[in-house]
Amino acid sequence: MKNKRVDGIYIFSPFLRLFHWIMAAAVLMLFLTGRYIANPFFHGSIGVDPTISVGNLMSMETIRFWHFFWAYVLVASFILRIYGWVMYKGDRLLPKFWTKLYWTGLSEVLQHYLFLKSDHQPYLRNSLARTTYLIWYIVTFVLMATGFAMYGMINPASWTAKFFSPVISLLGNEYNVHVVHNYAAWFFPLFLTFHTYFAYRSDMMHGDGEISSIFSGIKYLPGKPADAEDLK
Amino acid sequence: MKRVVVDPVTRIEGHLRVEVTVDEATGKVQDALSSGTAWRGIEIILKDRDPRDAWAFTQRFCGVCTTTHALASVRTVEDALGIEIPKNANYIRNQMASSLAVQDHLIHFYHLHALDWVSPVEALKADPGATASLQNAILAKYDLGLSGPFDFNTDAYPKEFPRATPAYFKAIQAKVKALVESGQLGIFAAHWWDHPDYSLLPPEVHLMAVTHYLTMLDRQRELVTGHVVYGGKNPHPQYIVGGMPCAISMNDMNAPINTARLGVVDVAVNLGISAVNYFYLPDLLAIGDIYVTKHKMVDGGGLAGKCVLGYGDYPEDSYTGIANGDFHKRLLLRCQGVVENFAAGVMAAKFTNLEGKDYVDPEIITENIEHSWYSYPQAGKALHPLAGVTAPNYTGPKEGTKTNWKYLDEKGKYSWIKTPMWRGKMAEVGPLARYIVTYVKVKQGLMQPTWAEKMIVDQIDGVSKVLGAPAHVWMCSTVGRTACRGLEAQVMAYINKYFFDKMIKNIRNGDTATANMSKFEPASWPKEAKGVGLHEAPRGALGHWIQIKNGLTANYQAVVPSTWNACPRDSKAGSGAYESSMIETKIKVADKPLEVLRVIHSFDPCIACATHLYDTEGNKKAVINSDPYINACGGCGS
Amino acid sequence: METRMTMWDSFSKRGLSRRTFLKTCTALTAMMGLPLTDRKKVVEAATKQPLPVVVWLHGHECTGCDEAFIRSQSPLASDLVLNMISLEYSDTLAAAAGEPFEKHLETVIKKYDGKFILAVEGGVPLADQGISCMVGGKPFVDVLKEVAKHAAAIIEYGSCAAWGGVQAAKPNPTGSVSVSKVISGKPIIKVPGCPPIPEVMTGVVMHLALFGQIPPLDAQGRPKQFYGNRIHDTCYRRSFFDAGMFAERFDDAGSKAGWCLYKLGCRGPEAYNACGNLRWWNGLSYPIQSGSPCFACGSDGFWDNGPFHERLPNVVLPNTLTNADKIGAGLTVAAMAGVTVHAVISSVQKARHAKNESEHDEE
Repeated sequence: MKNKRVDGIYIFSPFLRLFHWIMAAAVLMLFLTGRYIANPFFHGSIGVDPTISVGNLMSMETIRFWHFFWAYVLVASFILRIYGWVMYKGDRLLPKFWTKLYWTGLSEVLQHYLFLKSDHQPYLRNSLARTTYLIWYIVTFVLMATGFAMYGMINPASWTAKFFSPVISLLGNEYNVHVVHNYAAWFFPLFLTFHTYFAYRSDMMHGDGEISSIFSGIKYLPGKPADAEDLK
Repeated sequence: MKRVVVDPVTRIEGHLRVEVTVDEATGKVQDALSSGTAWRGIEIILKDRDPRDAWAFTQRFCGVCTTTHALASVRTVEDALGIEIPKNANYIRNQMASSLAVQDHLIHFYHLHALDWVSPVEALKADPGATASLQNAILAKYDLGLSGPFDFNTDAYPKEFPRATPAYFKAIQAKVKALVESGQLGIFAAHWWDHPDYSLLPPEVHLMAVTHYLTMLDRQRELVTGHVVYGGKNPHPQYIVGGMPCAISMNDMNAPINTARLGVVDVAVNLGISAVNYFYLPDLLAIGDIYVTKHKMVDGGGLAGKCVLGYGDYPEDSYTGIANGDFHKRLLLRCQGVVENFAAGVMAAKFTNLEGKDYVDPEIITENIEHSWYSYPQAGKALHPLAGVTAPNYTGPKEGTKTNWKYLDEKGKYSWIKTPMWRGKMAEVGPLARYIVTYVKVKQGLMQPTWAEKMIVDQIDGVSKVLGAPAHVWMCSTVGRTACRGLEAQVMAYINKYFFDKMIKNIRNGDTATANMSKFEPASWPKEAKGVGLHEAPRGALGHWIQIKNGLTANYQAVVPSTWNACPRDSKAGSGAYESSMIETKIKVADKPLEVLRVIHSFDPCIACATHLYDTEGNKKAVINSDPYINACGGCGS
Repeated sequence: METRMTMWDSFSKRGLSRRTFLKTCTALTAMMGLPLTDRKKVVEAATKQPLPVVVWLHGHECTGCDEAFIRSQSPLASDLVLNMISLEYSDTLAAAAGEPFEKHLETVIKKYDGKFILAVEGGVPLADQGISCMVGGKPFVDVLKEVAKHAAAIIEYGSCAAWGGVQAAKPNPTGSVSVSKVISGKPIIKVPGCPPIPEVMTGVVMHLALFGQIPPLDAQGRPKQFYGNRIHDTCYRRSFFDAGMFAERFDDAGSKAGWCLYKLGCRGPEAYNACGNLRWWNGLSYPIQSGSPCFACGSDGFWDNGPFHERLPNVVLPNTLTNADKIGAGLTVAAMAGVTVHAVISSVQKARHAKNESEHDEE
């Protein structure tokens, strides 16, 4: 039996689409500025009086400013994403470990990606992707918590410092907080690589409009998705 | 017969217990044991860490000799990796080591040792006017008239000089009186102030010494100002493998070292010379003179007349390695070697050299555990430090329980300190050992003295004249050990000045390098390397050994001065330095063994140093180390 | 019960003038970081409060903290030990030794029951009932527990007492822990550092003596006035960090110019201590000023954060040393290579799949 291409399914709310791109920009900026902060590989202004660093576009201070700026953007988006998660079903396609479908789907998709199976049945979002996004949220949360724990301690009497100080206690000392923040950030280039590749691949293999869906919100699946329930 | 326990022995570093068996009728000590009662296992901790960090860990062996282990450690790693440090780094390290020796000897004399000789209670009986006269007389009489070389004499007049006015001593006396009468004696509480030995010195000496106790308590910090300039802090200044972190630049306002910073060091260098010449030495010689010439107290020699050992130190310039022998060719203080039988006189003493490869020869320096709380696989066979097996075997005391001792077991195991030996013999290390070795080498014509060695010989001859006794008689005693420590403080004060001046001349010639970073990155290291680091610490000869594998520390061992001196006995080699010195000391009041404190303090015990090394519980962590040099001695230090 | 002397009593008893006393109070006011207008409060405090009795115990330590303590410039060690506190028990400075010394300790803790300050230097080994540190024939932990029972407050001097210290670094062969892991129910002030700055050590005692109360503490139990900020946030080289001017290795141009030591592994960004503002020897220097990166010697567990000259800890893989950045970059490159290969295979698979489907259609 030949699969029939079904009509487009409207999955992603405008909310999700907007914040997807804001968060993508924020994460990219955070990673790039973060790399510089962790290991300043070029000098901002050799031979220039350090007291004028504020006006220097590529000084550590400016780069740190942009790091903090985009961190706030990410946090704000994250919070608004939670709003979207409450409001729209398409915004909460996270793994459902307690369902059989999750596990059969995971096995099926893995087999397909390992070239053991020529195709997999259509999903709104397959189990592997769902799991990856959950990891993304966890890692982002860790980065936010550790980031604000460090940031807050600029003024140890501040509300931020008090709120996030358990993070420092939990990790033993602040050096470990830096280390965890640094380790966790390396998740993003890995994620970016796989995320863009598999989105592109999905389009290429199944022509399901994976790429355009993040602009339009609509996916064109080759059949009725196995997890169609999640939109009902 | 009475067995007296002193635990804790105070005014020392670390945890030490001594037990002496005294014949109450004669005051003769029948037996004495010294026990290190704590250990921390730092060498175990060093395993699999970056060897460039080892200095920071090993320095935490001890906060009193606070630069020595870092220095020995960076020398060890540099020897292993074949790093030759820049001249300035060598000069700075030598300044830090010698200024520490001045400060350390000084606080050991005044603050950790003096209260065995001097009592604030006795000081109350003094006449302030007579004390002022005594101060003047002492300054005149006990000036040996010696000095080191000066290239830049920056000291216009003595900045720190004893005040010798009756009103001053009266004021101090009034404060001491108020303190004693207040009933809140603080640090002076509960001591044996009624011991007869406190009446050996006239009250005026007590008052003067108590005054200087206070003066020097507040001044000693300034003697190590150089540590704060070069190393950023004290205790525990910062080092790096390959040199020193304090970059020198006369072009940069924010440089760690520039002229203004050197000015700060210069003042401290000069202060060291004043403190030793006008306070420490006159006070020391005055007290020593009374003890030796008036009371004939020349006991407590112990091993000093039998066997002493030194490693040598203060390289004049950069050297290519230690195990390859280059280090010993360039020393200012060549006290390396062993002198036996010095008690028979300087010409009758027997000298044996100890250089280069000897430090990595498994037969020459060994450690045994017969009376230490460890076990070796082959009972009775001493092992080289790097071949050592560290399997703890805590047996508890002879009387009492595991956690509540009454008496330790002198026939069994009784200390956490191992017993190091030189060719199967016990040896004493320290300033006295360095002085004996240097004196014998020069007098027997075995070497042409450098200025520092000549100064040592002149000091010994000068003091012999003051005391009216030949060197081997007064030196081999508690007084002699205490005196050589003070004399060495004077030499160290000038060595500090000497290397400061050398550094100035070198910078003047355009050399500002302080670190050789060519082999700093582990990628540039060989897969395996091993090295030895030596240093003459204030307490005596110090050796560190390292084995590096794949960029990490595979094995680290240190044999420290207080291990040599405070070690438990050995059935073949006899008693260690502490024990044999205590045995040779007469005790007047059995249950107030002040003499024991006095003789122990003449060694400046550093027990945390001595007992840092050992492992704990079970064979799980017991490490059987194969000495890298046993198999590969030909490659030492290359 | 004997009435204890106030600081003013102690000054007047020792024949010192009111003027000297006021001068000392001024110095202390400044030293404690209080505005000089608070001098009146300091004077009042010093006149009314009794002179504190201090008992100082030693566990697994190196005596570096004692050495730091006597290096204090303001107040000077002699003034502090003789006039401002009554140091009734200290292994390092006390004249007495052995049995009379231990008896004196028993007397003091009973006489000043609930009133004296207990200063502890050194970690507390617990392995094998604590036999790796014996004092007076008993495990240190037993002595500590007994004395602490009677103390009014406890000061943990140095990183060993506060966190366990160097002997507690992995694998912690003696099972060493901090004092607060063993003692509870008493106010505890942490004064970490290896060693702490001398004036910080004496400043804490003076605060207790003058104000009769525990100084305000942060979440970790450290006095805020000495541990309130990061070294990085108080560092005089901070402007070089902000400008992106870094020493790349020891003794290079940046080191000579006194630029930021961040790239040499400086732990200033995560170290809380008074080095940046008080500095050592009353403002003379601190490790960073002397060209040596900070290694956060006052932080819990800093010994296990090596190597000290790298920003990131080593990850030890078989026969090689690496760090998170190298691993992260390596994985990213590997992932990119991986997806490229995967893409190629996928397109082959797609082509075959399409062919199969068309064959299937023809049937």
